[in-house]
Amino acid sequence: MANLWQKLTHHDGNGWWNLPHGPSNELNPPHEGPIGGAWFGNLWQTLTHGGVSHAGAGFYWLVGFLLAVVTLLEVWLFTVEGLGGWYIPILLILSVAKFVGVVAYFMHLRFDHRMFTYFFASAMIIGILIFTIILFVAEHAHQKPLF
Amino acid sequence: MTQAAATEHHEPVENTSTGLNSRKLMMWAFLGSDVMFFGAFIATYLVYRGKSLVGPYPSEILDIPLTSVSTFVLLMSSLAMVLGLHYVKEGQKNKGTIWILVVVVLGAIFMGFQFYEFREFAHEGLTPRTNIFGTTFFILTGIHGAHVTIGVAWMAFMAYGSHTGALRKDNALDLEIAGLYWHFVDIVWIVIFTVIYLISATDGPPPGVGPTILH
Repeated sequence: MANLWQKLTHHDGNGWWNLPHGPSNELNPPHEGPIGGAWFGNLWQTLTHGGVSHAGAGFYWLVGFLLAVVTLLEVWLFTVEGLGGWYIPILLILSVAKFVGVVAYFMHLRFDHRMFTYFFASAMIIGILIFTIILFVAEHAHQKPLF
Repeated sequence: MTQAAATEHHEPVENTSTGLNSRKLMMWAFLGSDVMFFGAFIATYLVYRGKSLVGPYPSEILDIPLTSVSTFVLLMSSLAMVLGLHYVKEGQKNKGTIWILVVVVLGAIFMGFQFYEFREFAHEGLTPRTNIFGTTFFILTGIHGAHVTIGVAWMAFMAYGSHTGALRKDNALDLEIAGLYWHFVDIVWIVIFTVIYLISATDGPPPGVGPTILH
């Protein structure tokens, strides 16, 4: 039991709840956290107690549990009547939360070098642009040409 | 933080122009291109949503409880993946191998669910040629299924490598790159599950058209 308590509470690099360290190498300014800003960097250093190279297994279990809860919530919302116009926005928000959870923590983007984030974010922006253009063109396909 | 401390705790700086591992960067670039690929197919599905003139329609055929279970399975495979990588990086060979095998098994179960779903739909009269819903649905979920199949094969290869000792702590990047691919397959399904299943599941026949008589 004492060992279990140690695992749950210690943040010294051996506990289950170790949070990942911020930037994965020195190309990021060492005083900044993965989303930038010295204030966050300081908080991050405090949370991780100086940091380890990657998270503890318990941290991933926690993220997996939260993702499962969000999925259950989505399915439950499907059965709820009377949400009206709120149904789709709520589902989209929950879906984005899951998406970000997996990309940030399971794919380690949150703690990896920022260049990877820039790569993926650029692709997401272009992807969303393609998505929007297709929907826009289809919506206006039967109308008078714009130009 | 000193350079010595940095080297102790962080991944080594690669000897490339970016300082990053080129293979990992290439995987992120590939995933970026796949975002656009799937984005185009999901947009196409939405463009033709509700435009089928004949059934079966989504409200008549989609099985949300079944797909919720398969979604949960795929989500848990992502957890198994990250745990597998964690233990390989820790140098715990057996635990690493087991968790990678869990990914393979969960991925195979997801494929089984999809095969069952496709077979049921075909049995009830929905094929890619039946209506525009069938076409866009099967193309999108089929391409995703192909990605899962490739991922399962890749993970089986990784599990074998971990078992034989070819995949170790010092070359765990191989597994990390494979893991990026696997997690991407998961996030694509997160979007598909929301857009096609949860949002479109109530889509019935267009006004003036009666429901389909299913076999």
